[in-house]
Amino acid sequence: MQGSFYDGLTATAHPAEVTFDGRALTIVAGGETHTWLASELSVDIHADQARISRRRSDARLVLALADWRQVSGALDGVRRHSAAGGRGLVVGLVAAAAATAFVVFVGIPMASGPLARATPLEYEQRMGENYNAQLSAVFPACEGEAGQAILQGLGDRLSAETNAPFPIQVRAVHAPMVNAFALPGGYILVTGDLIAAAETPDEVAAVLAHEIAHVERRHVMQAVWRSLGAGMLLDLVVGGGTGAGQQAVLLAGQASEMSFDRAAETEADELGRSFLHEAGLSSRGMADFFERMAEGEIDTPAQVAEVSEWWMTHPNTDRRIQAARAAERDGAPALSAADWATLRQSCSSDEAETGGQPWGPIVIERRPRNDPMPSQSNEVGQD
Amino acid sequence: MADQENNGELSPRPEVLGGTEMTEGQASSPPRDVWDAEIRPAGDGPVGQPVVFSTTLQTRSFFGISLINGLLNIVTLTLYRFWGKSEVRRRVWQGVRVNGEAFEYTGRGRELFIGFLLASLLLGIPFLTFVFAVQLLDEAFSLLVLPGYLLIFWLWGFGMFTAFRYMASRTTWRGIRFALFGSAPTYGFMWLGLQFANGMTAGWIQPIFERLLAEQVWNHMRFGDRRFRWNQARSERIGLYGPFALGWFGTIGVFIVAAVALGVIGAANPDFWDQVSQGMEGVDTEVAKFASPLQVAAVILELVVASVLVLMLWALVWSPYHAAVLRSVTAGVSLDEARFDMNAGAWSLWWLTCTNIALLVFSLGLLMPLVQARTAKYLVSRMRAIGQASLDEAHQAPPGPRTAEGLADAFGFSLI
Repeated sequence: MQGSFYDGLTATAHPAEVTFDGRALTIVAGGETHTWLASELSVDIHADQARISRRRSDARLVLALADWRQVSGALDGVRRHSAAGGRGLVVGLVAAAAATAFVVFVGIPMASGPLARATPLEYEQRMGENYNAQLSAVFPACEGEAGQAILQGLGDRLSAETNAPFPIQVRAVHAPMVNAFALPGGYILVTGDLIAAAETPDEVAAVLAHEIAHVERRHVMQAVWRSLGAGMLLDLVVGGGTGAGQQAVLLAGQASEMSFDRAAETEADELGRSFLHEAGLSSRGMADFFERMAEGEIDTPAQVAEVSEWWMTHPNTDRRIQAARAAERDGAPALSAADWATLRQSCSSDEAETGGQPWGPIVIERRPRNDPMPSQSNEVGQD
Repeated sequence: MADQENNGELSPRPEVLGGTEMTEGQASSPPRDVWDAEIRPAGDGPVGQPVVFSTTLQTRSFFGISLINGLLNIVTLTLYRFWGKSEVRRRVWQGVRVNGEAFEYTGRGRELFIGFLLASLLLGIPFLTFVFAVQLLDEAFSLLVLPGYLLIFWLWGFGMFTAFRYMASRTTWRGIRFALFGSAPTYGFMWLGLQFANGMTAGWIQPIFERLLAEQVWNHMRFGDRRFRWNQARSERIGLYGPFALGWFGTIGVFIVAAVALGVIGAANPDFWDQVSQGMEGVDTEVAKFASPLQVAAVILELVVASVLVLMLWALVWSPYHAAVLRSVTAGVSLDEARFDMNAGAWSLWWLTCTNIALLVFSLGLLMPLVQARTAKYLVSRMRAIGQASLDEAHQAPPGPRTAEGLADAFGFSLI
């Protein structure tokens, strides 16, 4: 049969006489004879043409599709040219994906504890100083110096008997949310809104004890290692791409991050209660505060956004309330009535700041995308 | 560098050209008469053959591969994307013909994958070092961010050029490869310069750079040993500044329309709007509290439809410019005596863009291969050559880079 032969050296078309003997194609073109073994062939079929190539060669033989069918009828399974990869490739990639998922969802979380404990204290201290400096710009400290001293005093009492590796440094801050954060290096921020939302000093003490527990267990450093490891690995796999599939993979990674946060929260609740008890304080404030959050008593319209945001990182509230109720004990009030009043005054300028106004443009993503190093408060030991 | 690839059908292992500058001297040394032939074509008068483009692309046939690639991307956490992309290219290339003979894409997923791994190492290690230095050692290291940004712009251009080089080397016609010579670092600097100049001129330098960048590619492009040339004067015959002005000022109009549209949707759904404007965080939970799922769906649908309409409007004001760029760049390219001409009009390009946007939005990006095939078909079916080129006489080009494109992929950039 007739075809066109291209020798791979020039683009000149050579009319070719092609025969097939069941083992090899014989191509006579341009005064030369080429023998191509059937086992070396692959073919590209498109529209009316079949383009046959030989392994590791630039030469091509183009036949009319009908002619090729005649030849290939006698051939068993000439490789169809494809870049799609075979079954082996897909199985291998699925295995690689599964291994990645295993490392992200199991390996890194397991390693994060030992890694956090192995992180030199001075490194965490320095990281904490950096975070603290960055956050001070976003969430300025409340002005009431007397109140700040009372809050710090409460922190000192609660942490006195703990094994916290860092001195606890507590600060009340202006921030448009009911929340408290533990940063690396023992820094704890309590928002003015949280102090305002608390009905008794015991509730503030409960939150503070919870945060100190995060510090003692180095949960913050664990979270840093987790998000660093998982974030980096996932970013590596998806290549920083912006496709829908790539975003879905990154979202799954964030979901896993939240579930480990929950485990850390439960641990911090338990440990926090023991700190309260050791300091001789009542731990009833914890369940009280959770319950009022759950019942939405402080769901005044202006606070809706913050409360629901607080809930999102603290699911299984019922279980937390039950655990808190079951383990709670009576004790001394955390603060005297006078101190409590002073503390509540320390962020009083909040009211003026936010009265009737929509919240300012402080947008904090739950977890910055593609950012292996959290720089925002809400990533670290949030409560 | 190899010098034996013209000696037989067995190609030697491709050389790594990567991002390093590749000059003619470094290229394989073909027999002297090859270069002579280029300078003095055999015989007198016009030589060569007419160049006729045609396409056998059946865009519908790309639905299947879109679904398969999408599925495999999900189960492999997107690791399959390198192979999927290569297969899409292979299918697009084989649907494009010149003088009745189809192009062939010979690239492999493995090559893209390895290129990607190399780029990840190359970018990842310095980046991690930087992050650790800032967080654990000294905040002063964050001053490195500025030169880092410059480097990223430069790398972006660099990566694009190496991607072009890779794709050219994996494109063959009648068994003969294309080759892109020239310097990726230079292209990187031009790209960096473009960002600066664009910033200082509010984008008005862009039309000049379109031609500069095209020149950098086409003056160094070859089919085998046949050189493409860039002709600035011919390219400039198709003016870009009129359409650019239309797009630039039109964009301001589009912004106003978008603001009005958001306002109208907001006014119609005051509750929702309140939540969005004050919420910023956890929007979905608040909405769940205040509105029924049906209302939420309605508002989201309105927002999606409004966004698509605004995008279509935006595409409309820029279509004349993009069509002019296509025509101008094509007009600047020649091969031997053949000049090229692209019959791309603003309306047809606008319609292509709108339908492509719709396909992507409503398939969540799944139908990207289909969109690429439609775009290729649009371009090829509007392309024609005037004059003749010595295509048949082209000799084989040296092999291209073994892997490449990793940088471009790492940045999420890819032509197709």
